[in-house]
Amino acid sequence: MGKSLKAAVIGTGVISKQHLSFLDSSDHSELVGVCDLSAAAAKYAAETFHAGQAFTDYQAMLAETKPDVVHILTPPNTHQKLVTDCLNAQAHVICEKPITPTYEDFKTLWHLAQEKNLHLIENHNYRFNEAILKIEDMVKYGTLGEVQEVEVRVALGYREAGGRFADRNLPNPVHKLPAGVVHDVITHMAYLLLRFMPEVDRVAAAWSNHGGGDLFKYDDLDAILLNGQQHARLRFSCYTKPECFTLFVRGSQGYAETDLFQPYLRTVIPRAGGEQLSPLINHFVNGWDLMGSSVKNFRNKVMQRTAYEGLHRLLDQTYAAILHDQPMPVSFEDMDKTNRLIETLLAEENRV
Amino acid sequence: MKLFITGASGFLGKYVVAEAVRQGYAVKAVVRPATDTSKLAWADHPAVELVRVDLRQSRGIAEALSDVDCVIHMAAVKGGDFYDRFAGTVLTTENLLGAMTIAAVKKLVATSTFSVYDYFKPSANRVIDEAFPIESEPEYRDAYAQTKLIQEDMMREWGDTNGAIVTLIRPGMIYGREALWNACHGADFGSKWLLIGPNALIPVTYVENCAEAIVLSVGSAAAAGEVINVVDDNLPTRRQFTKALVKRTENPPQVIPMPWGMMRGVSSLAWFVNQQLLKGKARLPGLLIPASLDARLKPFRYTNAKAKKTLNWTPRYTLEAALDRSVSDQCLLSDMLAKAPVTPTLEPVAQG
Repeated sequence: MGKSLKAAVIGTGVISKQHLSFLDSSDHSELVGVCDLSAAAAKYAAETFHAGQAFTDYQAMLAETKPDVVHILTPPNTHQKLVTDCLNAQAHVICEKPITPTYEDFKTLWHLAQEKNLHLIENHNYRFNEAILKIEDMVKYGTLGEVQEVEVRVALGYREAGGRFADRNLPNPVHKLPAGVVHDVITHMAYLLLRFMPEVDRVAAAWSNHGGGDLFKYDDLDAILLNGQQHARLRFSCYTKPECFTLFVRGSQGYAETDLFQPYLRTVIPRAGGEQLSPLINHFVNGWDLMGSSVKNFRNKVMQRTAYEGLHRLLDQTYAAILHDQPMPVSFEDMDKTNRLIETLLAEENRV
Repeated sequence: MKLFITGASGFLGKYVVAEAVRQGYAVKAVVRPATDTSKLAWADHPAVELVRVDLRQSRGIAEALSDVDCVIHMAAVKGGDFYDRFAGTVLTTENLLGAMTIAAVKKLVATSTFSVYDYFKPSANRVIDEAFPIESEPEYRDAYAQTKLIQEDMMREWGDTNGAIVTLIRPGMIYGREALWNACHGADFGSKWLLIGPNALIPVTYVENCAEAIVLSVGSAAAAGEVINVVDDNLPTRRQFTKALVKRTENPPQVIPMPWGMMRGVSSLAWFVNQQLLKGKARLPGLLIPASLDARLKPFRYTNAKAKKTLNWTPRYTLEAALDRSVSDQCLLSDMLAKAPVTPTLEPVAQG
């Protein structure tokens, strides 16, 4: 295998900009084709991100360009067929979340990938954001002690008029997924929780449609998850402001929290000043860090660096791993557990 | 003659439908499936048939075009991110053109915009007519200009490929009851209005005047296949326009004049810093991007000579009359319909 992999993209919606900008700039990849049902969209994406060719028929693209890797960025209900066809065309697949609507569908695809000796990766991009990697290190090196509690909270204005998911004229395909619009983010919530609480033995999930109507299946999730004495909460709301994506990890020694939409890292941990001075030192250190984060976030906003920073890191590691035959940054176990947890959250017997 | 009018419930579209009825056409008015038509005075008019389709998908469009002689295409999206605008402007056009090919409709009158012109390279105070250069570097312009440029290209190419007549109407800044304070005469800062370049002419057209020009282009042999700019007579300066608006606004913003040269200097400096120190990666507001600023506010002169000649059109309402109508309680659509023939004729009625 050469120094770069031939990459192709199917689907040119909002998320494609993040994948295509990586492929346009990476030394590990050569963008050979972009495909969309819309010729205009495919042409625009191909021109903007310097792809070899634009296609409206993905089978033609697979046949003509013979890509090593295909990025599937289409609505989730199309993934099963597209992933299957790409694997059958001997291409590794990087697929947007959720990889499939159900766990069983994921297992089918995984078996096919194994059979073909190909890699199949679901996008778990937020795991690779700087703040998450730092919290993982804190857990790994025992700074927080034993993890006791994890909370993942997402607030998004999906109900707001004019938004993508509130459009009644052409309902977004995500409404048809088992968790409705919550399915748009539940993969992220599940894999982040599992990074810090890898096992779950009890689940109670309240799925609600507070806004009513027949467009939204659910607009709210409040779930408690337990593993022995470890507790976790997954919370999704359309009704709280400001929009956020927060992670809170509380251990036996201290806690850490971040918001991926306005990144900062607040850590309350034992400091060198001992039990008496640690609270004061934590205040000063966190105050200083918060001020630094404000400046950094302003700079990031101006410089167009978004919460998708982890996606480029994930893709870079994935391409390097394929090229050098190393373990994938998102493993089968990661995807298996994530999709199983989503199924568990949706199971009737776990609902309250 | 039956017209298929897209974007019929939009700011301009609803007046175009009323004007088409007034001129004696039968109309198929295209609105989105969930559009509330209760306030559209023409919704129950015998000359109007409502067609509820979403042009972002192709289903049902060709069937709806079966008995149509000409399409007036105005559907476009001015809000949201680039991908929303791409879907609402480019994909809609792509689907419409595909359906017109199937239905063998060979006449298209499309509403484009002054935004497609290149305001950056040509020197100030030139006359903008239909031969004025088109933007060749759209990457420095906003999403609206970018998507309208793609849309124009698609329509021209479709016309050439299908031997169809494509007439492009490029209105200046359209004002009316729903849009009085606009980006071409300044910048909104809450309770303050920055009046940039007060002495420059503003290329406005009142919505009813513009609607009349668009509908006249359907029946004009001289207009067929042409590009036609639409602005009103006796264009005001920004100061005159603002003064006339302030007079009619209950709680007007505080107007702060700013010389054009000063604003352009600030914008150029911001651009220089971005390019030289930040490698062009900073996302600046439009006022600080010279190409975008020029498109909104650089002083030019304008002509409507071609529109008046080819359409035999004279703007019906002066600025003062148009603003008086805009702030009145009168139902303007009903007023337009009151002058319509009782039943649609096959040919448009003579204009008086």
